[in-house]
Amino acid sequence: MKHSDRNISGQAYALTVLTPVLRERVNALAGHLDALPGGDQSPLARIAGTHFARWVIIDDVIYEGSPQPRDTLAAPRLLFTSNFDGPLEPYLEALRSGLGEQADAIWGHCAGYPGRAESRAWAGWLRAHQIDSALFFAAYGDQTVDQVVANLEQRSRLMRFALETQGLAPDELQRRFAAEFAP
Amino acid sequence: MANVEGKATAITVLTPVRRHGLLVLAVVFWAGRHLTGTLKKLQQLSFIHYARWAVIERFPNDGAGERLQRSYLFFESNFNGTWDQYIDAFSEVVPTRMKAIWGTSYGFPGPIPVGPFKAYIRRNEFVANHYWSAYPGATTTEIIAAERVVAALERFGRSSARLDPQAFKAAYETMLESVQRDL
Repeated sequence: MKHSDRNISGQAYALTVLTPVLRERVNALAGHLDALPGGDQSPLARIAGTHFARWVIIDDVIYEGSPQPRDTLAAPRLLFTSNFDGPLEPYLEALRSGLGEQADAIWGHCAGYPGRAESRAWAGWLRAHQIDSALFFAAYGDQTVDQVVANLEQRSRLMRFALETQGLAPDELQRRFAAEFAP
Repeated sequence: MANVEGKATAITVLTPVRRHGLLVLAVVFWAGRHLTGTLKKLQQLSFIHYARWAVIERFPNDGAGERLQRSYLFFESNFNGTWDQYIDAFSEVVPTRMKAIWGTSYGFPGPIPVGPFKAYIRRNEFVANHYWSAYPGATTTEIIAAERVVAALERFGRSSARLDPQAFKAAYETMLESVQRDL
């Protein structure tokens, strides 16, 4: 198994990116990320195929006390992780175009960020800061976001249908079923 | 700061690996990838959407990466339910595996009793600055159940197409009964 294959489970891909934040910008970056709208208004809602994603500022590594040697990061890191419908390359492009100005407003606080104008430079920069997974677990890695959402809707529809059609005569039930679930 | 999005909770943990821990982790994660036991156990926990581990030997930067005195173990999970329930379940259901993985990290008190384990995770976790889910209202169990419901519904759609109303109703009720636990 290639190291990069360890990011894959079914069709799902685990992306982990750690980029160095310019120390004087870390508060501004935190303020910006904390203020991003959530839910449907999140910039991540614009990136098709994203199941779960997060940005996390890691200001420094944790010291657990002796005998751990004391380590300090030269620069804080911005962690971006996403669990998405693979493969990686089209997703990076979707991120670039979908995040738009937000991409620059976020990673613009990081050292060496090339900007989003040039697609290859953008994707190359993220890949250069990627960490491969050692173990990736996906409970339903065979399902795309669209499939998950469609299946949940269909399940709700069947539940509603079952309640609404209780006690119907067979011919009426058959007609209603055909109308509701016609392929 | 946002570790919660609807029913989904994010956990992000970074722990320092002991000097000889890397070799153990290589074996544990190899086993995790090639023997299905660990992933099956995680599936059995039934509330984890996606989880991953990664070993960070160098923190990416613009050059060859920043090497600290020790490597770091990264863990993230996307699950439904509360943080406490999650750690409780990990401690109860997969204590041996937790010990095999985090036993390589400085300061790890063991998964049982759960009190010190929780305190350890709290000390070593980072709160997400922004967290997003494509289906914040759905649990892992519901997503997997919905897939079974849709498969049953499609089978029924095909097999019932030519039935007369009486036989249709009987077949419909049988189908409904077969997916009852998934509704």
